[in-house]
Amino acid sequence: MAPSESAQDDTMPSEKDRLDKKVTNGEQKVASMAEHIPGTNGTGEAAKGSEQGQKLADVPKEKELSGKEKKELAKAQKIAKRAAEKQKQQGQPAVDLVAGNKGELPKDSGKKGPLGPATPAKTQHKKTGSTSAGAQSSLPHRQALSHAAPAAAEPGKENKNVALFDHLYGHPRRTTVAGAGKDVHPAVLALGIQMRNYIVCGSSARCVAMLLVFKRVIESYTTPPRNSLPRHLTILLSSQIDYLVSCRPISISMGNAIRWLKVEISNVDVSTPESQAKSDLCDLIDTYVREKVTVADQVIANKANDKIEDGDVIMTFAKSSIVQQTLVEAFRRGKRFRVIVVDSRPLLEGKNLARALADLGLEVQYSLTHGISHVIRDTTKVFLGAHAMMSTGLYSRVGTALVAMSAKEANVPVIVCCESVKLTERVALDSFVHNEVAPAEELIIQGKPSSPLSKWVDVPNLQLLNLMYDLTPAEYINMVVTEYGIIPPSSVPVIIRLSTNT
Amino acid sequence: MPSSAGVLTPALTTFSRSVRNRGTPIESSIENLISLLKRRQIRDSKPCAMATAYLLRRVVETFKIADVSGLIERVQQVGERLLAAQPRELAIGNIVRRVLGVIREEAEEDRDGETSGYSDADTDSRPHSAGENGSRLPEAPGAVSRALLSSPLRRGASDQPSLEPHEDGAFQRLPVLTAHASYASTNTGPVVTSMFSLLSHPRSNVALPTATPGSQSAESHPPLSNTALANLTAAKDLRAEIVEGIQEILEELNQADDQIAGYCLEHIHSNEVILTHTSSITVQKFLLKAAAKRKFTVIHAETFPNHHESTHATVIGKAKGESDDELRPESFQKSLTAAGITVILIPDSAVFALMSRVNKVILDTHIVLANGGLVAAAGAKVVAKAASMHRTPVIVLSGVYKLSPVYPFDIDSLMENGDPAGVIGYGDGDMVNKVEFENPLFDHIPPELVDLYITNLGGHAPTYLYRIIADHYRAEDTELDKLNAYQ
Repeated sequence: MAPSESAQDDTMPSEKDRLDKKVTNGEQKVASMAEHIPGTNGTGEAAKGSEQGQKLADVPKEKELSGKEKKELAKAQKIAKRAAEKQKQQGQPAVDLVAGNKGELPKDSGKKGPLGPATPAKTQHKKTGSTSAGAQSSLPHRQALSHAAPAAAEPGKENKNVALFDHLYGHPRRTTVAGAGKDVHPAVLALGIQMRNYIVCGSSARCVAMLLVFKRVIESYTTPPRNSLPRHLTILLSSQIDYLVSCRPISISMGNAIRWLKVEISNVDVSTPESQAKSDLCDLIDTYVREKVTVADQVIANKANDKIEDGDVIMTFAKSSIVQQTLVEAFRRGKRFRVIVVDSRPLLEGKNLARALADLGLEVQYSLTHGISHVIRDTTKVFLGAHAMMSTGLYSRVGTALVAMSAKEANVPVIVCCESVKLTERVALDSFVHNEVAPAEELIIQGKPSSPLSKWVDVPNLQLLNLMYDLTPAEYINMVVTEYGIIPPSSVPVIIRLSTNT
Repeated sequence: MPSSAGVLTPALTTFSRSVRNRGTPIESSIENLISLLKRRQIRDSKPCAMATAYLLRRVVETFKIADVSGLIERVQQVGERLLAAQPRELAIGNIVRRVLGVIREEAEEDRDGETSGYSDADTDSRPHSAGENGSRLPEAPGAVSRALLSSPLRRGASDQPSLEPHEDGAFQRLPVLTAHASYASTNTGPVVTSMFSLLSHPRSNVALPTATPGSQSAESHPPLSNTALANLTAAKDLRAEIVEGIQEILEELNQADDQIAGYCLEHIHSNEVILTHTSSITVQKFLLKAAAKRKFTVIHAETFPNHHESTHATVIGKAKGESDDELRPESFQKSLTAAGITVILIPDSAVFALMSRVNKVILDTHIVLANGGLVAAAGAKVVAKAASMHRTPVIVLSGVYKLSPVYPFDIDSLMENGDPAGVIGYGDGDMVNKVEFENPLFDHIPPELVDLYITNLGGHAPTYLYRIIADHYRAEDTELDKLNAYQ
């Protein structure tokens, strides 16, 4: 741990205990509440979750909402912090928190503790990453990568960034908690590393995990003297968000939630007693998660279910928790259909989906991107998850566009399942302007010691590109299922107005 | 798609050596190749084509040529056996057809020498009618033209003897489009009896000399019917000429990649972004040659899971370390990155995301079909489709030996599924019993997704390929194997 953070070191374990307790409890509650089949609760990496880490893009909106003064303060702070972080990162030895953190999670999970009201469903995503078999097998893999990353980050001679995406590289993903700002909450520290290592993965899972962690931040918050809660808490949250962004760019759903939370915080009346304000905010977060994710998922699963008929062959790409929920729901209703999971390197998230569905007894076929043109011929419907849904198209895991294109060619309807929290007013025409570039090292095939790519950094002029998302043009998408109804992509802005104004 | 590992595999090297060895009985060489093909120790178009050519050269060398039809029959038999061993390697069939074409051509030249003094009219009419007439009256040119006049099938044309010979000839040859010819199941080639040829459709009887480089034009060397060939006594140097013809085919195989690379500057301009798929020597040579003159960027899709290893090896710049006892020219080849070209390796899934900035897609192919479609490594279809969605031109590089006169009636029969271990590793063995895994090796790309073919003869539109095929294969050889006739 960095010397600068020694002050926080003693508080950290207890904080983490509390976080973990809460997570576990929430999970149990939800498992009973949502009548989930236990197998499905245990699937970690949701294949949705879009992150366009353009934190900056959020800034203008915050400004309107929470006042200029706050904004400028936050901005100045952010800049200062970034500079400080950079310095620290360069000077400090890498301390990998992941290993320690992983060990602690199960250990603490048995304890009970004070619990916020109605901890919602999606908590499962946070933990399941480390409990489900599929995620476990990928864990060592990711950890190894986290060590490899800094080596690549110091190129020395040649710029290995792909020129087309130079604007997306930013600074390399943070691999340790070392150098994090001192007011970053320990729970946030842990979550950042989990997101970075894809333990918490998927747009809605990350959004929910972030909100729950922010709840912990709010609970442990005390307003310093000569400061007001709305003003100071916003600043504090901003530094938490900065840390999360440095681990992995945040998703659009996270951005939407942050924007909402900041509005709620700024709406707190200064005269409200602090404890009252805090518990109000926590209640609001719980309600938000329940309405926007938990219940929304059930509604979407039910609606999408009407589109599944006996004898259907349903293709999906990678892994989306909402698509999984839909398919499982259809299976529980006794519909007879077959599922084709198409997957792609390097994340191979679809494998977890295929495994989970097959364990339930569904008929599952698994293929990779190269087989799309073969399996599409049997397919009757394509279900896709979303990382974000724009009026110009679907922004989702890279490769989704290939599936949608093939489906369009084969005259197979493409149905997108997407909570309204993932809808965005942002528009994009290509996959270049907004995207996320993951560390190139993830492309190196693990397991074999003599993978030819392991020396790629030494080869001049060779670049590896590991994109996270692509944009599927709206013309390939036949319908979008949201909790507000089934809409065409062009109606996305309408739903956004509906969901934010009411 | 010859990958960097597959161009001259050890299996091919040893096979070519054993075939060259005069002590090896020919039958054991044939069996050897059949088992190599069945075990897929020789795979991909180029190694298959070369192995077939080696073997057929040996077959011709060892065959005691009593008459040419016997030789043709022998080559056909061997070809059928090879095709039965590996029906998806259409390059085998292509080489067998080429060799048959060489034999027929040499035999005709031979006959030319014997029967001197054709009239101009005879030479013109001969190509159309050689099938049925020659069989009846093999030796007399005058009789041939009489027979032509009396032939019921030729009556329409022979009623107007004043028809301009060249136009007529040109017109008559056009129907021998290979795309059509492969429909024709009636014409079985060499061993046609005279009765049978009388009844057969005239179209399929129009025999065409091959247009193999170095061959002579149709007018000066009228083809002869198979039965006529049979009655020929083989000239003493016939065998040597045929072997020389096969040698030419082998040279063409060896030079094809370089010849294709010669056209690179006509297609690649400065500062382009080129996307390619799989690692192919043909494409690499093409790009490398252009790299000497121009700067551009190559985006290389890794083609997981069947070709990613060779792709990775190619972009890193080392040919695959399979201990090859022969030093291959490819291993001395510079990598693209060493030539100063920026190479971006991407997973296959990112193809669509990047396509809008790609100027050209250059693909390698496994086989090219008569309608201008092609069979390439799995994953190529979505690449080509994404390119056509973005209006990005797709260029396919293919040696002429990959052009097959087979028409894709049943695409599935050309497809092949590979080892599912590429899709699912042993670490996930628990899923094997519950989940179905598929690992296709090939994709069929319809002709409308391809903008240009570059062969060793130059660039062609997909719609023109039939003509090149017609130039290279004889109509009577289109259908080698009854089993494969409807592919």
